[in-house]
Parts: sequence; structure tokens; C-alpha cells
Amino acid sequence: MNAVTAGVTPWTVAKWMLALAIAVVALFPIWWMINVVFALPGEPVSLNPRLWPTSLSAGFDKIHMIFAETGYLRAYAISLLYAVLTIAGVLLFGSLAAFEFSLFDFPGRKALFAVVMLSLMVPTAVTVIPTYLLTARIGWLNSMQGLVVPGLASAFGLFMLVQFMRAIPKDMIEAARLDGASHFQIYWHVALPLCRNAMVTLAILTFMQTWGNYMWPLIVATKPEMYTVGQVVGLFNSPLSHHTVDTVMTANLLAAIPPLLFFLIFQRKIVEGIAMSGSKG
Amino acid sequence: MAFLDITSVSKSYGAQTVLENVNLLIEKGEFVVFLGPSGCGKSTLLRMISGLETITSGTISIEGQVVNDIEPAARGTAMVFQSYALYPHMTIFQNVSFGLRMARKPREMIAKAVGQAAAILKLDRLMDRKPGQLSGGQKQRVAIGRAIVREPRAFLFDEPLSNLDAELRVQMRAELMDLHRRLGTTMIYVTHDQVEAMTLADKMVVMSGGRVQQAGPPLQLYDDPDNRFVAGFVGSPKMNFLPAQVVASEAGRLRLSGIGGSGQADLPLDVPGLQGAVELGLRPQHLHLVAPGEAPAGLVLEGRVVMVEELGSESFVHLDLADGTRITLRAGREADLAPSVLRVAADLRHALIFGPDGLRIRGRDGRAA
Ligand SMILES: Nc1ncnc2c1ncn2[C@@H]1O[C@H](COP(=O)(O)OP(=O)(O)O)[C@@H](O)[C@H]1O
Ligand SMILES: [Mg+2]
Repeated sequence: MNAVTAGVTPWTVAKWMLALAIAVVALFPIWWMINVVFALPGEPVSLNPRLWPTSLSAGFDKIHMIFAETGYLRAYAISLLYAVLTIAGVLLFGSLAAFEFSLFDFPGRKALFAVVMLSLMVPTAVTVIPTYLLTARIGWLNSMQGLVVPGLASAFGLFMLVQFMRAIPKDMIEAARLDGASHFQIYWHVALPLCRNAMVTLAILTFMQTWGNYMWPLIVATKPEMYTVGQVVGLFNSPLSHHTVDTVMTANLLAAIPPLLFFLIFQRKIVEGIAMSGSKG
Repeated sequence: MAFLDITSVSKSYGAQTVLENVNLLIEKGEFVVFLGPSGCGKSTLLRMISGLETITSGTISIEGQVVNDIEPAARGTAMVFQSYALYPHMTIFQNVSFGLRMARKPREMIAKAVGQAAAILKLDRLMDRKPGQLSGGQKQRVAIGRAIVREPRAFLFDEPLSNLDAELRVQMRAELMDLHRRLGTTMIYVTHDQVEAMTLADKMVVMSGGRVQQAGPPLQLYDDPDNRFVAGFVGSPKMNFLPAQVVASEAGRLRLSGIGGSGQADLPLDVPGLQGAVELGLRPQHLHLVAPGEAPAGLVLEGRVVMVEELGSESFVHLDLADGTRITLRAGREADLAPSVLRVAADLRHALIFGPDGLRIRGRDGRAA
């Protein structure tokens, strides 16, 4: 046995096979989507199906058609703004609240935190109607603030950041206090930089969640001008639409590209983040 | 007027009283060490001086001004923590200059102050590093640097050397003494290590159970302790305490019996009317082995050898006396420690007497026995 094969046991081979199999299963739908889009209509589902793209130009024609005939670009902008504003808000409010909850004591701290954590266990479906009624009463239906504001207070985000900030030594906060830093300066210059990793992770998770959020935009932003990408894709997918499979696939592919890119760029952080939010605490 | 005046200060957490009626005066420029076992409230007292902990009752004043309700940063004290508490995401320069930057001091002034502190502490070449890249001793220097640039009225140290290894501790101790000599600023230093306390302190404050047991120059506390706790805590190896019975106390003499079983002693101590059980305190260096054939006068004890600690220049011998009391004595290289039972004579000029309440019993003329 030489040095290269040393350590390769049937067990490692089996593990690799399993990982490969899972990867194939996970990647196939995406590959199939690309395959259907970049082919002449009907070809991939014909009697003689192909597993690779056959016509790039056909694909670009479909993409062009979708951009030309639907408000897809506008939906992109709305979705992006929705995601960015939500991320900014979740990070700001989450970190401010976590700072207080984890590093300082105030009357009712434990009870308040318990209430927030309890809210994690309530399914969204339960709160969606009261939230809708409230939003409607304020007059925020079909507006960006109606879309964004209800999602700004993230119990999950608070939980995650609190776990992180708890690990900041009290001495460090006290040292900053003795150095004359104000409460806000301690937050800004000490606590925030020290949980940067957690903030990045929370931003990523929030992006994924906001981009994929279908229910809330569907309920609160019913006017076509306020459609998010998810809603536009929903139109294509509805049972009564006259679009063919490959057009629907094109719309889906366009919706999937931003999170895919996002995932490829932040892959490592996302994995770290999921491991972190799952195992800490 | 003392520099720092602590008057009837107490501290409780809920029902738990941590400090009880602490009274203490500290002079400007003094190096004061709070010494006591872990959990006795040293850190709490220090933190109350710094303002990090509220004062339950009593007052603390600095240079005549009551600071009970003054913000920590406004008290003019700087604290150095055992954990260093450096900001890990900042460079050493940013760490040291943090306070000045928060106060929005001019850039040149910050550079000058940091430069001076760096020169004093030999940190010049580390300025661009992060704390994670420094050794423990260097981190502690940075923490001290961060205190120095604030030009405090008093430095507060909470066990600053406890995380360092023994050799570095000795070196940093010397550096701290040097720093104190150069800056002349009041320093208050908390430790549970009595060697550290003895070497650093101008004034040593021994604490136990939330109370100040005794305060004074280290040698005074060593030679003339007020109670059994101070006598036992200061000095290494510890003082020996031997149970004894008062036979008679009259005409300026105190006669004891039953010392460590059957030992007898006659001390020049004037405490008329003293009776009952007392304890005789003797430091290890005031006991010596009796050579075969020698018949010394005074207190002679006989004990079984339990353990011998060889330190090279000297040895410490641990003996069990007839009544089970364990004592320690110092022996030179030449001593014959082979026999399993040794005879020990005591130098009673240095003996101290403690009552059953743990308080020192001094002679009526105030003379140490
Ligand atoms: N925040 C707190 N809440 C309750 N008890 C405390 C708190 N801080 C300290 N104590 C208690 O006060 C006592 C003294 O603590 P401390 O001053 O840290 O002791 P030392 O520094 O002498 O080891 C200890 O018994 C400790 O448990
Ligand atoms: Mg302590």
C-alpha cells in the first residue's frame, strides 16, 4: 500500500459515495431547471430526453421574453429592497436588544427575554392575521413599510446575538466603562465588533428567509406594483396560467439565481452560521 | 486629609453581606495591598472604589470629595484586571488610546500620551499587533498602559499577576514597583498571595470574611499581628499555633502548661487574671532542633516526623506533637533529620499569645510578648 491510498478504508469510500449521492439528488433539480430553460421548447420532456442544454439562444430568448412582458425587474428591485431593509433592521434592533439583554441587568430582564423566546415557538400562521389587521389599520397595505416593518423584530436574531454577546467578558465592558466610553460607545466600539461573525451569519440567514418569504408579501402587498419575485413566480405557477413548462422554469431560474449566487459567495459563513445557531446555547 | 477615605462602608447582595463596616485611610502615593483569601471581599472593595459596584452604606471619598454617586470614569481611577480585559479586535495602539479616543482628544495629544506610556512599558514595537498575538506579560503591560494614559489619581489592580507563570510574576512585580517609584501615583492592589503583598506594599490591608482584620506596614503585621487570622495568613510557612492552658498569670509572668501535650513555658507577659485555654503562636524559624545531649531551658517539645521539605538552603520539617498538633520548623542543611522522633526547642522571645476568640493577647504594658 502506498502513501496516497493509506488511510482510504471501505468506510471512507462509502462516506464519499453517500455524499456524492446526496449532492446529485440536491443538485439535479437545479440542473434540470437549467436544462429545460436552455433547450428548444418541448425537447427535454420529449420521448428522447436530453440531460444537457441544447440551445443557449432559446434560453436567452425566454429570459428576454420574461423581462419584456412581466414586471420582473421591478419585482427584483422590490425583493432586494425588502431584503436589504429587513436585514438592516434585524441587525440593528437585534444587536441593540441583545446588548442590553446579555450584558446588563434591568428589572424584568428574565421575564421579557422568556416572552420573546416563547414567541419563537408560535407558528407564523398564527400571528399573520393579527399582524395583517394591524398593518391594514395603520394604512400600510401595499407599501414597503408594510412589507418590512413587521419583520424587523426577529426573536431568532435576538436569541442568536444574545448567545454571542453573553460570551463577551464582563471585564471588557467594565474596562470600557472605566475608559469613559458611553453606553452607546460600548455598544458600537466593543460589543458590535466582537459579534461581527454572528451579525454576518444573521444577515445571511435573514436574506435567505426574506427572499424566500412568500406568504407575507402575498397577503400584505396585493397590488402588482408591489409584487416581489416570489409573487411573480407564483403567477407563472398558478394552475390557470397559460405558460408552458419551460417559461415557468425560466421564471423559477431567475428567482433562484440571487440566493444561489449568495450561497456560493457566502457558503462557508452559512455553514458556520447554521452550525452556530443550532449548537450554541 | 487622607487621599482616600473609606468610612463605615458595607456591601450586601440581597441578604448576603459581603463587606461589613470597612474603615480605611490611604495616603497619597501609597502602595496599598488588599490581602486575603479568595471570597473575602477584596475585589468588591476595589470595585466600589472604582465605581463599578454600588456602595450599600457608608462613604468613600477621594481627596475630600465623596464619590459614592460619581460615575466610574469621572473618579480619576484606572483599573487593571486579572483577565487583562483588552479589546481583542483592536490593535495595541487602539487599545491603549481607547479612552482618549472616546473622549475625542486631539490626535497629536493621543499619539504623545500613548508614546509615553509605550516607552515606560517598552511596548513601542507592539503597537500594531492585536492582543491575541501577545504573551501574557505583554498583555498585562498593555493593560497597564491603558491605565497610564488616563493619568489617573489612583491605579487599581485586581490580581493582575495571577494569570502569569511564576518567573514572569516575579519580574512583573519588580516592574510594578519600579512603575510606582517613577509615577509616584497611589496604587491599590488586590491579591491573595501574601508574598506578593509583602514585597509590594507600603501598607498592607489584611481582610477576611468581609472585614478588615488589620492594616499597616507589612513587617508590622508580620511581627505584631492583632489576631490569629493575620498571624496565620501573613508569613510562609505559616505560624504554628499550639494549644495551651494558663497555669498562672501574675507578677508580669505568664505560665503555661499542656503545650502540644505536656510542654511548659514561662513568658514575660503581664496579663493579670488571664486563665483558661489560649494558643501559643510560634513562627517556624523560632523553633529549632535540639541536638543529642543538649538540654535547653524553656519550652521543649517532642514530635514525630511527618514530612521534610528540602529547599536546598534550608528544610522545613513537619512534626506531629503528642496531642496531635502539627507544627513546622526550619532546619539548616547540617541538621540530622534521620530519627523519626525529634526534639524541638522554642525561642519564646518571639512567642505570641491568642485568646479563644482568636484575638491577640498583649501584655498590659503594651509590649509584644
Ligand atoms: N454580583 C454578586 N452577586 C452576589 N454575590 C457576589 C457578587 N459579587 C461577589 N459576590 C460575593 O461576594 C463575596 C466576595 O467576593 P469578591 O470581592 O470577589 O472576593 P475576592 O475578590 O476577595 O475573592 C464572595 O462571597 C462572592 O460570592
Ligand atoms: Mg477577586
